[in-house]
Amino acid sequence: MMELLAQTGLNAVYAASYISLVAVGLVLIFGVMGVINFAHGELFMAGAYAVVALYADMHLPFFVAVPIGMIFVGVLGLVMERGLFRPLKGNPLGGLVASIGFLMILQALAVMGFGVRMEHIPPVTQEVWRISDKVGLPVARIYVIVAAVVLLSALWYFLKRTRFGWALRASAQDPEAAALQGISITQTARIAMFIGAALAGVAGALTAPLVSVNPHMGHSVIVTAFIVIIVGGVGSLEGAIIASVVYAFVHTFVTTFSDGVLADIVGLMLMLVVLIVKPTGLFGSADRA
Amino acid sequence: MLSKYISKGFTRRTFLKTSAAATAALGLPKVALAAGEPIKIGFLAPLTGAVAAWGKPGLDGCMIWAERVNAAGGIMLADGPHPVEFVAYDEEYDPAKARTGATKLIREDGVSFIMMLGGDPWPGVQPVAERTGMLFSTLLPSDLSPDTKTLLAPAEVHPIYNVTGVEWLAQNKPELKTAVMCAQDDALGLPSVATYLAAFEAAGIEMLDEPLLFDPATTDFAPVVTRLMAKNPDIICLDTCYSDYVHPIAEQLFQQNFKGQIISCTADFYDQMIAKTSKEFMEGFIFQFPDFDDPALNAENVNFQDPNGFYAEYNTRHPGQWGAVSWEYASIMDLWKVAAEKAGSADPEAVLAAMKDGPGNHAFGEAEWWGEELFGIDNALVGDWPVVAIENGKAVIKEFRSIPDWYSRHGDLLIKHMQAYGQMWDQRG
Repeated sequence: MMELLAQTGLNAVYAASYISLVAVGLVLIFGVMGVINFAHGELFMAGAYAVVALYADMHLPFFVAVPIGMIFVGVLGLVMERGLFRPLKGNPLGGLVASIGFLMILQALAVMGFGVRMEHIPPVTQEVWRISDKVGLPVARIYVIVAAVVLLSALWYFLKRTRFGWALRASAQDPEAAALQGISITQTARIAMFIGAALAGVAGALTAPLVSVNPHMGHSVIVTAFIVIIVGGVGSLEGAIIASVVYAFVHTFVTTFSDGVLADIVGLMLMLVVLIVKPTGLFGSADRA
Repeated sequence: MLSKYISKGFTRRTFLKTSAAATAALGLPKVALAAGEPIKIGFLAPLTGAVAAWGKPGLDGCMIWAERVNAAGGIMLADGPHPVEFVAYDEEYDPAKARTGATKLIREDGVSFIMMLGGDPWPGVQPVAERTGMLFSTLLPSDLSPDTKTLLAPAEVHPIYNVTGVEWLAQNKPELKTAVMCAQDDALGLPSVATYLAAFEAAGIEMLDEPLLFDPATTDFAPVVTRLMAKNPDIICLDTCYSDYVHPIAEQLFQQNFKGQIISCTADFYDQMIAKTSKEFMEGFIFQFPDFDDPALNAENVNFQDPNGFYAEYNTRHPGQWGAVSWEYASIMDLWKVAAEKAGSADPEAVLAAMKDGPGNHAFGEAEWWGEELFGIDNALVGDWPVVAIENGKAVIKEFRSIPDWYSRHGDLLIKHMQAYGQMWDQRG
């Protein structure tokens, strides 16, 4: 039983890592720009396909492919900011609809470029960090956990300790007051979009060898990310991280000790309970709710 | 005709068009033999999305089939030979889109027969089938019911053939005594769960746990595999999981150190699974869909035309894309062609009557129309089915086993489990 608990715990830590990368990116974009980016799951997918192209097809080293994929998806975020969200500034519904359109474009491009089938990506490593015969964590999953810790710590430092970070937070709290202080709202939106998209991209890139990469893989990711940011509090980065951990542990343990379908129901119930008890989410503020 | 050209002036453009058409006709003498109106066949299956792996490869196989048939003179009906062509519609495994597609194929394209994967989209199409009387085929006999007499399952009796793999395993590896199973919770997974449960019970293999159902949107299979391995089973059964699930589950089984037997309905692109695990890990993996270069398919009882040549041609055109359904829709077309030629017509009603007039020549041998007890109608063509094992990195047919024989001995078990999962024809909504 202890071994089962330990293995399930390790599985949950991995799940929390990639979910938090995606959810934090989504929260950052919403917090600064006030836009619900429905295409966020497809940015995750784009990161995965970057690894297909660079690592599986062009045989670049995996740790070269991942940063390139991350930057590529960040640039996609900049394209979205300039082409979709900036022209629709002040129109959240318009931004949401535009992001749905962009989602479809990205899916169609993936189909045209790579086909409808799942992509085969050679394993980065088959090594497993084994605690016992029945408890272990594949090294490829450890990469995801380490990357999540490093990137989210770097993001925390950036937001709390740098002038750009302060500007970003100021824009998120009160865009008009921030503008009056000389902060460029356009510039902060651009930075938020790049970072938010890049986080989704790096999550997709790192997990690509561990999942089935296909043009529709973003769907389940975005559903999970929305549950997480609602539980954590829309607009709260700390909330997104903590909710990712809570959701990942609940979902993983329910899957292991009951079944996966019930785990989805429990995940949704968790969201409903939070919405009833604390409609702003665990760490959300009334302004953003 | 000539005077028309002369009166209007035989322009350079007209001349070029006419010459091009004549040249094309002369350049394709064999196609020209099938000189009648083309017979259109609808291909209504998922060509994109998560289930595309069981649609698109089938269309690719059909294209090769059509070229071969047209090159050999086409379909010989009462009024002479006709070329055959496929009209595809991507239903994305969505009932509403499937319904739109079926209507479009019948009304706008004038197809004579529609092939489907079936499953979740079928309820969307069923009213169209009833209203129009169009002849449909499905790969999933669980779609059959007495409500639709024009729906046939002539290629595979999914998931009933899965019993052959379990029975073979029980006889050849009697030391395997316990099993667990996982499946996606959908129209494809649940009847297969019931079938495997019946097969394990019939074989005297104990199920250590309830089948673990997961959401089709699942991407991380580590928790699923941890649960499967928790009770130390001898056998882990992957049911009829889509290849998008079979691959990561197999990889997780490898990473979580599973050392027992794996059985699955399919193992599409198993070479990729070997690359993600190891040849040793995949050794002995049992499934139900052979590669068509297998020498066992050259036996006299096999009715699929030139299976080895078909496989070679398919792999030349679509390298690495061979899957469970690559040959299946083409094998349905073999049956349809024989029936249409027997009827002398492509009319759906006439073809249906000819097709069901006596035993059918299934790809893997003579088979009978069957299914009254399970599906409420004898519209499934059932006979022998291969049991396939991966040996030294390659799929090998171990044996052909009779599904009707198994059913005559254990049909009550199958009905019991189908009822428990609400999968009998009169239980489906």
